[in-house]
Amino acid sequence: MKSAIEVRHLVKNFEYYKKEIGMRQSLKNLFFREKLVKEAVNNVSFSIAEGEVVGFLGPNGAGKSTTLKMLSGILHPTSGSVNVFGYTPWERKKQFKQIFSIVMGQKSQLWPDLPAGESIFLNKCIYQVPDADYRRTLDELSELLDVKELLGVQVRRLSFGERMKMELIASLIHKPKLMFLDEPTIGLDIISQRAVRNFLKYYNEQYRATVILTSHYMRDIEDLCPRAILINSGTIVYDGELKKINTHQDEKKLIKLHFSEYTTLELLKEFGDVKEFDGFYAEIEVKKEEVRVSMQHFLYRFPVVDFTIEELTIEEGIAKLYRGSA
Amino acid sequence: MNFVIEMRRHLYILMLFAKNSIISQMEYRANFVTGIFVEAAFLVAKLLYVVVVYKTNIHIDGLTPDTILMFMGTHILLTGIYMGLFFNNFQRLTEYVRTGMLDLMIVKPISLQFLVSVRHIEVGMPIPNIIAGSIMVSIGWSASDIPFTLLNILLFIIFIFIATILTYCIMIIPPLLSFWFVNTSAASEISYSVWDANNMPKLIYNKWIQRIGTFIIPVFIVTNYAPLIVLHKLTKVEMVWGILAPLIFFMLIRMLWKQALKYIAVQTCNFGCLRKGEEESL
Repeated sequence: MKSAIEVRHLVKNFEYYKKEIGMRQSLKNLFFREKLVKEAVNNVSFSIAEGEVVGFLGPNGAGKSTTLKMLSGILHPTSGSVNVFGYTPWERKKQFKQIFSIVMGQKSQLWPDLPAGESIFLNKCIYQVPDADYRRTLDELSELLDVKELLGVQVRRLSFGERMKMELIASLIHKPKLMFLDEPTIGLDIISQRAVRNFLKYYNEQYRATVILTSHYMRDIEDLCPRAILINSGTIVYDGELKKINTHQDEKKLIKLHFSEYTTLELLKEFGDVKEFDGFYAEIEVKKEEVRVSMQHFLYRFPVVDFTIEELTIEEGIAKLYRGSA
Repeated sequence: MNFVIEMRRHLYILMLFAKNSIISQMEYRANFVTGIFVEAAFLVAKLLYVVVVYKTNIHIDGLTPDTILMFMGTHILLTGIYMGLFFNNFQRLTEYVRTGMLDLMIVKPISLQFLVSVRHIEVGMPIPNIIAGSIMVSIGWSASDIPFTLLNILLFIIFIFIATILTYCIMIIPPLLSFWFVNTSAASEISYSVWDANNMPKLIYNKWIQRIGTFIIPVFIVTNYAPLIVLHKLTKVEMVWGILAPLIFFMLIRMLWKQALKYIAVQTCNFGCLRKGEEESL
């Protein structure tokens, strides 16, 4: 498959000043500032094929947004190279800007006092979309997102979910073949989240658009991204199929137990890693080969009234990777 | 050819910005009307200078109170143009840098400098200044017996256009410095003071201040050259400088702009380190 994005040994360091608490420190800061360097992205390499949807995951401050900003040309890297559809992003060529779009869940490009249609039309002019294409795309996207009737409503009168849908239309009016989505579902209710996810899935399938998605909602990632890149402290800790994230971990199962009487934590600890406990309920991570023996002990020694044995969730696997790399 | 097409596109988008701004501002009727009244009140304060000039019958190096009125009118007219086109945008520029909103603008396939410079056009507040400035220029023009010819009107308009470009170049410097220093309100205050001190002919200042205000920070060209050209008091050297200055200063500002953008993209975390919630945005 043709490569859309090639990232090689990308590094981004930021300089900042130390700022401590208190008036004395502020006065000191006025004359002398201690310079610190933050390694936001450290030797990151990956490639993404055309039409691929990749989840870009990591805890706060991991380097996700910084990487996205370098891929979209907002930031220059300290070193390394990036090739996006043949362009070097930070050269910011007009032709490059025409082929992608960036959606940031926490920032809006719409004019709040105007109907969303006006902002979308403004984008049509900025991206030089021909009239016929504009009308066709606007009809298609607004119908898909079920907001056609709302194009004439002032943005500030729309709900948060409706506003995000309008953001998506404004961002996609020029039919980009690459989308950077930085937490597009943040703050949305479950129904709006699902609508946005379905729409993104449709857009990717219909137009073979390459998508890089960052989100803290695992549902977004699980629904949309067959592949995940995990970044922590500026370094990639996993790059591969999302569903295989757990195979990189110790082979474990999660046993959930309900007790009829109060049980002590100490007794459970000898069987594995107790993830949750409240006296009447416990979640314990147990090695796969020990599940059978452990279950016998639980049923024999504890007042178990109900139990389930489950695979570890992807979320748990990701959390383990974060912890392991930290 | 490409340049012409791009110019037309930018002009069209400028018209859209103007339309969107008008619609937005008229949404808040009370604020719209109050803005006009507040600016009208400021204007009345400025007009007290006119009273003083006429009461004292002041003459500055051959300039009568009537001709001085033209200078003052030009200053007020340019204040209106500055407030209408740039003031709002320059104020927001600092915010764009601080909040990271610039991110969404950088990726648009249009000149970023154009986008942030004229995105929000103010409609209400400049009205009193533009009307009063135009009336003062007309009265001064007529009372000074300047022939009302097409050439004179054209020359005056050309120098108002030049003054607009120079106003842009001078007043964008403090907000542009925010790319490096984030908070540049002190520099903005200085620029406003310099601007306000420019409401009289430059001849009231000594030679050195005149030279600095003409060649280094060309604030005197803004208010003086349009009236001087129709009064036939602009020397050939001044005329040539008046035409060259906007080109030179616009190029300098363009270079400064590119440096500012480079700085935030390369040297600092800008959108991260200096903002609230810095770690989250890295």
